[in-house]
Amino acid sequence: MSQSFIIRNEERGHDLIKSDGSRSSYIAGHPDGFVTRASSFNFHEYQGGRPGFGTIRVFGDEVFHGAGCGYNMHPHHNFAICAFVFGGQLTHVNTAGEGMVDQLRAGDYYVFSAGSGGKHSELSITTEDMQAIYLWVLPEQLYLPPSYHRGHFDFRRRRNELVQLVGNADGALPIPQDLRVSRLIADKGRTFRYAPRTLGHGTYVFVREGRIGCSGTELGHRDSMGLSSVDGFDIEIIDDDSDILIVETVMIDEANIRTWESEHAGH
Amino acid sequence: MTDEPFKRLMCLGCGFSYDEALGLPEHGIAPGTRWADIPADWVCPDCGTPKHLFEMIVVGYAPGGPDLARTA
Ligand SMILES: [Zn+2]
Repeated sequence: MSQSFIIRNEERGHDLIKSDGSRSSYIAGHPDGFVTRASSFNFHEYQGGRPGFGTIRVFGDEVFHGAGCGYNMHPHHNFAICAFVFGGQLTHVNTAGEGMVDQLRAGDYYVFSAGSGGKHSELSITTEDMQAIYLWVLPEQLYLPPSYHRGHFDFRRRRNELVQLVGNADGALPIPQDLRVSRLIADKGRTFRYAPRTLGHGTYVFVREGRIGCSGTELGHRDSMGLSSVDGFDIEIIDDDSDILIVETVMIDEANIRTWESEHAGH
Repeated sequence: MTDEPFKRLMCLGCGFSYDEALGLPEHGIAPGTRWADIPADWVCPDCGTPKHLFEMIVVGYAPGGPDLARTA
């Protein structure tokens, strides 16, 4: 039986984290830097909403405000972390492999599989606010060798086309999970069919800009929807320049999510 | 004693994992220590996330993973 949920923009968890007091070791850019974060799924203290979807645990729509703002060097294990940059510049210092410094701008994205352990710092060093979407995914196995890959989405040449950024399509960045991330920037009036790999794969559709009809439901700016047990659905573009991220994940049987769903049944 | 299989849990703040079978000897938790027996005020040694924000997971190790996890 097909299932779906909708998360409206304002229903997400909204945080503003200033680089002050004990938070200044976490958030860079003391004293005036701050990060804003809208979380579709749970993150740290934000536990008010749905705890995840399939293998997705974090889907965070973030802005680093002020030159020097971001996250100071901190450790990760296991999670496969992707960042998709939409504005400003993200300077990413990462210890994966032999260590590296990367700089990403609009259209650039990375996949960092933390595996057996790695540290990273993410900073905006220009005066322009840095805008990115962060996606954290449970890995296929624990303690994999850490890896880092980066790619670029050419939004001028690949308009009106569903482009797989992460996954196993030609040119997509690899990720140690049965998961695909696609992006679509399209013009008003067009319709696109999205078909997940199997009925056992769920799809999370996030509208970063614009307005669409998703399987018959209207989704506006920063609204999103999860669909599972469907073999395909239509995305109708209502506003010009709509910009959509689509995450298709294997649906694992996950106790936390099941418990949350039964507690919130009928809402 | 219980026959219940050992559980694995993951920190939702950073991905640090706790495996009941392995414990965390370097953090003073003996192998075989059940999650329920770890104090409620325990926090992730890597990121400070509280115990209740760990999630039980059913995910296997990569080759060599358990040895790396034991000393994490
Ligand atoms: Zn942690």
